[in-house]
Amino acid sequence: MSVWNPENVTDVAESIGIASLNRDVVEHLARDVEYRMSQVLNEALKFMRHAKRTTLTTQDISQALRLLDVEPLYGYESTRPLRFGEASIGPGQPLFYVEDEEVDFEKLINAPLPKVPREMSFTAHWLAVEGVQPSIPQNPLTDPRSAELAAKGSGANNTLAAISGNDNVSVKPLVKHVLSKELQLYFSRISTAILDRTNDDYRSAAFASLRTDTGLHQLIPYFVQFVADKVTHNLKSIFVLTQSMQLIAALLENQSLYLAPYIPGVVPSVLTCLIGKHLGTPAVDGPTTHFALRDYASSLLSKIARQYGPTSSTLKPRIARSCLKHFLDSHKPFGTHYGALLGLTTIAGSQGVRALILPNLKAYDAHLQEGMKDEGKKEQAEFVVSAVLKALESLLEDAMGGAAANGHPKGEAVRERLVEVLGEVVGGRVLEGGRQELIAAVLERDLVV
Amino acid sequence: MAQPPPPSRTASVGPPNVGGMGAPPASTPGGPGQNSQQNLNQIVLEYLNKKGYNRTEAMLRKESLNVDPNGIPVIGKVADSGGKKWSPSFRLVKNWIEHGLDIYKAELVRLEWPVFVYAFLECVCECFYDEAQAFFNEYKGDFEEERGQELQQLARISLPEHVQENKLAKTYREHQYAVALSSMANATLVEFLEARERDGGSVISTILQNHIKIVPMNRATTARGLQKLMEEKEVENKRGVMWQGEGIPGHYPGSANTDPNASSALSKLALAAMPMDPDLMEDVRADLGQEDSLHPPAPGQNSLVDQFEQNIKQEPQDDAAPNRDAIPFPPSTARDVAMEVQKVRENRDRFRIEGRTGGVGPGLSVTMFTFHNTFDSVNCIEFSGDHTLAAIGTAESYIRVWSLDNRALASPHDPPGFQASSSRRLIGHSGPVYGLSFSPSAAVPEPATNGYTTGASSPDSQPRYMLSCSADSTIRLWSLDTWTNLVVYRSHNSPVWDVRFSPQGHYFVSCSADRTARLWSTPQIAPLRLFVGHDSDVETIAWHPNGAYIFTGSGVGDKTLRVWSVTRGEQVRIFTGHTGNITAVACAPNGHVVASADDKGEIMLWDLRTGQRTKTLKGHGRGGIWSLDWSVESSVLVSGGADKTVRVWDVQPNKETQAKANGESGGGAKIDGSSVGGGGGGAVSKTGGKTKGPVVSPDQISCFQTKKSPVYKVRFTQMNLVMAGGAYLELA
Repeated sequence: MSVWNPENVTDVAESIGIASLNRDVVEHLARDVEYRMSQVLNEALKFMRHAKRTTLTTQDISQALRLLDVEPLYGYESTRPLRFGEASIGPGQPLFYVEDEEVDFEKLINAPLPKVPREMSFTAHWLAVEGVQPSIPQNPLTDPRSAELAAKGSGANNTLAAISGNDNVSVKPLVKHVLSKELQLYFSRISTAILDRTNDDYRSAAFASLRTDTGLHQLIPYFVQFVADKVTHNLKSIFVLTQSMQLIAALLENQSLYLAPYIPGVVPSVLTCLIGKHLGTPAVDGPTTHFALRDYASSLLSKIARQYGPTSSTLKPRIARSCLKHFLDSHKPFGTHYGALLGLTTIAGSQGVRALILPNLKAYDAHLQEGMKDEGKKEQAEFVVSAVLKALESLLEDAMGGAAANGHPKGEAVRERLVEVLGEVVGGRVLEGGRQELIAAVLERDLVV
Repeated sequence: MAQPPPPSRTASVGPPNVGGMGAPPASTPGGPGQNSQQNLNQIVLEYLNKKGYNRTEAMLRKESLNVDPNGIPVIGKVADSGGKKWSPSFRLVKNWIEHGLDIYKAELVRLEWPVFVYAFLECVCECFYDEAQAFFNEYKGDFEEERGQELQQLARISLPEHVQENKLAKTYREHQYAVALSSMANATLVEFLEARERDGGSVISTILQNHIKIVPMNRATTARGLQKLMEEKEVENKRGVMWQGEGIPGHYPGSANTDPNASSALSKLALAAMPMDPDLMEDVRADLGQEDSLHPPAPGQNSLVDQFEQNIKQEPQDDAAPNRDAIPFPPSTARDVAMEVQKVRENRDRFRIEGRTGGVGPGLSVTMFTFHNTFDSVNCIEFSGDHTLAAIGTAESYIRVWSLDNRALASPHDPPGFQASSSRRLIGHSGPVYGLSFSPSAAVPEPATNGYTTGASSPDSQPRYMLSCSADSTIRLWSLDTWTNLVVYRSHNSPVWDVRFSPQGHYFVSCSADRTARLWSTPQIAPLRLFVGHDSDVETIAWHPNGAYIFTGSGVGDKTLRVWSVTRGEQVRIFTGHTGNITAVACAPNGHVVASADDKGEIMLWDLRTGQRTKTLKGHGRGGIWSLDWSVESSVLVSGGADKTVRVWDVQPNKETQAKANGESGGGAKIDGSSVGGGGGGAVSKTGGKTKGPVVSPDQISCFQTKKSPVYKVRFTQMNLVMAGGAYLELA
């Protein structure tokens, strides 16, 4: 029964040079040792409980020893449970020991540093919304076990059980969204009105209503869906795209609506209009009309970022990332590059331009030169160049100033350095512009970095 | 297992016969001795007969009957059989109880545990080590479920010194264990023990006399009469029903009065809200008026001033309010006014949970904050009252604070050019941090417009201080403006398990492994009150919303929830009934009900005025319910624990639901199959008991599982949204 044999006590006694121990003493000591061990364990469990853990660690034991006024055992500190090796010293007599890894000192010193453990962080999600657990990746899948967890009594909430899909009754776990007749009518009227090519008044009246009406909150998801729908299916129609963007703009302007939850649904549509590959039909709309749409979309995007950037920490980085990706993809047409540049400029500001656009211009120059040579693409390339220049303009905002006084090199030297930084085409343009401040701001990069 | 010792060892032990001296003489003279003994008797009897000593002969004959053929005296009474007496005696009583009349069983079965403990300790004290172990192992199985943790502590006690030293054993030996018995049950018990005196009845009587206090219980008049006991016995386990006064403290149920001669009347508590400082009230009213004129209330909404008046006036007459002068506070500041204004506004704009309507519980929304990459080092999570900050205390002795809205946490001490991030580390403790508490603060509700919010709350109502307690037995006060340590409070001499700011600020309480709770005020480094009385660690602590009472819950060996008056520093209520360590306590905002949870997965609700348990909520798995909180209306309780769930409970007193259940089972249409069979709450637990899963009481409104994240903290906001915090366990 006893965990701690009297033989162990005799062994320990011998090891410290006490040769003869009375049998009674040995037994007494064995009992006492066993009691002390259980005492330590009981105290350690207390520490485990207060650390809200379910595994006992070596630290708990150390804490327990400290509490009992015993010097803790050093050298066993570990955040993981210790691994025990097993050795046999005879039939049915396993011996357990702490497995110690053998470390080659030479290797350890020369090995690269171990990875820094990942930073502690937190995420937030809805565990339940009005009594129903939404099925999102953060929540566990509803398994059959959960039916047992739910209360079965008469006091239990059968409705809730049904909604969360735990009920045997075949009730669809759909939460119905009831729209009043008036709202449905309003929605259909508005959606036809804004897509009406023929009647300008009709359209502007619709937008005015969207901008000012207060009772539209229930319709927001429908409008967001409407826009997403129209944008995905009407990439060839500049008109529809423009109207969709205007619809979003109108909603954004409406002071009484709370759009924050829907922004993630709106942004993809806007991004499509900004950096879409082929927008509109060049044959009908002319080759450059889509740039106007892209301009509009970028301004919309900047508005969204301004309004909702502070409440959503990931919004801006996400937009900036997708813009940058498209900008760096040379297979995309110039229209996309144009949009991406605009997006980056408006989202990331001067710092973003300096960090994201400027270092890539040199590499992009090759692509640009190619475009300039091709007559069919020249016009488009010009737009991109103008976008780049616009982006560079924003550098002026945080320029150090007083560049002239710093005695920058003049003439050919300036040109060389500009080309070095910006590439042939853009560098040339900047030089032609002849604006000292701009040149200085661009070249400042060297000083700053 | 025990191998014959190798020769070298026996040689080194010394004279080989020393150990065996006791045993051999008893067995060796077996054969010849037996004969000689018998012959001797024969010879003596013949001799006496011859001489005519008739009376002497008769006496010898009589006395030699008690001796077996070996000449060893036959033991007539169990009580004289040394260490072996406990087991048969205990078995005797146990069998009698379990096969006795059912009406007494519920009461008498409660005697088994204390008798078992005292018998075991007695046995150890008398130095019958092996018998004690055998006795313990024979009967411990019966108590495993209810007393597992105590058994764990007692199991290894094997020497009289341990009994002297073990905290639990000491508690039992130094106090009498109170058990309630009705006079009839008591009489039959005494009768039985007297009748079977020789079979061990006397052994048990001695224990009853020395260690157990039998409190007479009048079945007819007490609320928890026989009828009730019988009813509840079905619902509860086969170990009978625990009387609320049972156990070591020896108090009347509910009250903290341990004097046996005192009347059973309960002392009256002042449970109403603390009256507001008149100056503060004036200021708040003025500010609210101003706010009303700036933002006129929406149609259907109260104006803020009206709401405020309503809040103040809603005190019922039957509750006394604590005296304002008894608990002094510093004069109110502009910040206090701002906070009161926020509270009134939130109170008006909240999502209302007005009890249950038509049997359907309210649908709550829960936001879960999951902490990643923690490596199980997070000990506690705390949210600030304005929901802008979250703090964790770690096993690595530091505290980390995050801004929930990604705001940079800057400090005036930052070096110029320092980019403050949205989290801060507070370093100072030298042991794991077990408790955190933010000073009171109120959130500014965001105006519900088109996202034109700054997201930052006004600086007026932000929490400015945080308290932390740790295994290094200190409590530290941190400034949340400079992110530095301001004060170290030293007085506890064991790890401090929990610390709580008073709902009004300024004061705080702490509880520790040194079995005390202490009251402090932030400007003073010595405690103002010591709350002494628990028989084991004080594990958790909570405030009454009016700041005049505190609640302490303790662990194994005591397992009581006690209520203390802050002004007088003494206990006013003791609640017993938990079978595990109490892990969380929370008082309802209305001040009448307190909820306590233990690590066996039970939550109990106690009525403060009557001192009675009103409800037991089951459903959580084992391993601890780490946090409890009440909705603003005190109508719903939410709990979170180690079983990785957040559960929502209905707290209406049982009678209503019981009645409803019975009514519905009559109709039998709306209940699902499992509960139709028996009708009412009892049936549910029965069916649950058969399956392996935990029993779920019908009062559970909903249960939300997390993904591998034990829930460390749940919190109702003033708007009745639930915030939950937990750490994701990758390894699990």
